[in-house]
Amino acid sequence: METSFALTGKGYVIIAADTTAARSIVKMKVDADKIKVLSPHLLMSYSGEPGDTIQFAEYVERNIRLYQIRNLYALTPSAAASWIRRSLAESLRSRNPYAVNLLVGGYDTTSHQPHLYWIDYLGTMTEIPFGAHGYGSYFALSLLDRYHDPEASLEEGLSTLKRCINEVAKRLVVSPDRYTVKVVDKDGVREVEL
Amino acid sequence: MANANGGAYSYSLTVFSPSGKLVQIEHALAAVSQGTTSLGIKASNGIVIATEKKSSSILVDDSMLDKVAVVCPNIGIVYSGMGPDFRVLIAKARKSAQAYWKMYGEYPPTRVLTQEIAAVMQEATQSGGVRPYGVSLLVAGWDITRGPTLYQVDPSGSFWAWKASAIGKNMVNAKTFLEKRYNDDISLEDAIHTALLTLKEGFEGQMTEKTIEIGVVTVPTTAELEGRQIGDRPKPTFRKLSEEEVRDYLAL
Amino acid sequence: MSIMEYNGGSVVAMVGKDCVAIASDLRLGNQALGISSNFQKIFPVTDRIYVGLPGLATDLSTLRERFRFRVNMYTIKEEREIEPETFARLVSSTLYEHRFGPYFIEPVIAGLSKTPSGGVEPFIAATDLIGCLNFAKDFVVAGTASAKIFGVAEGLWEPNLEPEDLFETISQTLMNAVDRDAFSGWGCMVHVITKDRVITRTLKARMD
Repeated sequence: METSFALTGKGYVIIAADTTAARSIVKMKVDADKIKVLSPHLLMSYSGEPGDTIQFAEYVERNIRLYQIRNLYALTPSAAASWIRRSLAESLRSRNPYAVNLLVGGYDTTSHQPHLYWIDYLGTMTEIPFGAHGYGSYFALSLLDRYHDPEASLEEGLSTLKRCINEVAKRLVVSPDRYTVKVVDKDGVREVEL
Repeated sequence: MANANGGAYSYSLTVFSPSGKLVQIEHALAAVSQGTTSLGIKASNGIVIATEKKSSSILVDDSMLDKVAVVCPNIGIVYSGMGPDFRVLIAKARKSAQAYWKMYGEYPPTRVLTQEIAAVMQEATQSGGVRPYGVSLLVAGWDITRGPTLYQVDPSGSFWAWKASAIGKNMVNAKTFLEKRYNDDISLEDAIHTALLTLKEGFEGQMTEKTIEIGVVTVPTTAELEGRQIGDRPKPTFRKLSEEEVRDYLAL
Repeated sequence: MSIMEYNGGSVVAMVGKDCVAIASDLRLGNQALGISSNFQKIFPVTDRIYVGLPGLATDLSTLRERFRFRVNMYTIKEEREIEPETFARLVSSTLYEHRFGPYFIEPVIAGLSKTPSGGVEPFIAATDLIGCLNFAKDFVVAGTASAKIFGVAEGLWEPNLEPEDLFETISQTLMNAVDRDAFSGWGCMVHVITKDRVITRTLKARMD
């Protein structure tokens, strides 16, 4: 089933999301990228109701881009997350709400700090050192409680992520077998191979 | 010019003249200066607002005429100019005061209500299909933040706080008279008498309790304010003087 | 499953002698799963007013933004700081505007009012999710542990507590109550508002 993880470390945020696009019990696609690059220092993983996810993620992507075109600079991670949260909260009380869960991670180029936000489809938002969505969260969160280190290097962060992925692979009945992993730090955004 | 939106007549009547004036507003001020005189004086312990009440015929039942209006327990207004326009503004002011009470559980400060009325009057100078209000107002009230305050609002929507002011037919003379008579530590009783004396200048006909209206703002004592419990009704700080009271002041 | 218990969290406010205290837990959950142990539910409104917003977390954020907007507009328009009682009425009005599609939040307000003679007077209030105000003279509670907080507060609170004693009372009340509530806990935050300053302390609590 759909799973995404994210964790912060010394000057970076890692976000990982599985690559399956499923419909009912059938895997329709095994190489989907469910992490959008919103701006040079901002990442967003999305999961939830198929259709809503892509529609909402693209809506966010285009609006964040529009802001950057109009103002010649990008929103900070906290400002972007607030805007996204508000969109979801307004959608929740509309006739047809989006059912999308998000992890928004970015590197604030003004304060030189990594930030990670956990947002669910209700518009609940909180800043966290690490977090997860989906069934994988029940396994990963306790591991991250034990192994997460906000001062860890990128290598250490990635190995903590691997622990989570391995645990989910081992214990979850319907575990995904492939993940996209993206990192954001002072140099911007890049995809990494585990 | 036959087009869908009604042509040139749908434009605002208040358009700038080449010299930079809004002629309609000046006409409205002219309407005000034809109205009967009203005045307000701020005293050290309250405010008085007063006006001359003139009816066109002795057959009119003048007990029905109201030129001093209570907006909410702490604010009252008097006007010079067009009566019907005043009634509309009072209705809006009362509604606004009640809306404020519903939101904050207290009545608006004088300044906030004045601003609200001024905004309504300003809108009539910039909207299509309407004319400016043909009244000037004197708004007197008491609130915890600013104490007793007296404001004048004009048809343009501009407003100022005054220690004493007059509007209407005799305003120039009345203001000169007030400037001579006014001092900062005048008491409310003295202010009421000064108000009557000022009105007497240029008063046409007999000054009686039937041809004068007076409203007063009183300042509550600290003890009265301290004793207030949550949910208590506020004690009114603005009230109109009864005919008997006006007669007594005139007799002195 | 009740919407009011979906994210968990509790707030309490108490009156002291020329001071008030307001405290909350720091947990954010998704039913039984804990998401964050640093989720603040109490926010400053002015230097002398704090508001606690326990309930559905999405509405907490939305209401916080709404109140900030409305209080800022009030401050600019009226050129004065809002008083606690006026703020409480504003909270009530805002919630009742959504009577038939409410925000799932039960706000708690604590502050010091200015008296006409220049002193301060403690003020606390709480409302339900549609804005029914409750002005109490001792303490107010809200959130998933509200029943438990009531019990402990009933036993510990006494009139005219000095700021430090009030801090101890509200802290013990909240900590012991949330330990018996599965949806509240994971640390606490306490604010004691006095005439000269606000004392803010974070408390360590059981993390289970």
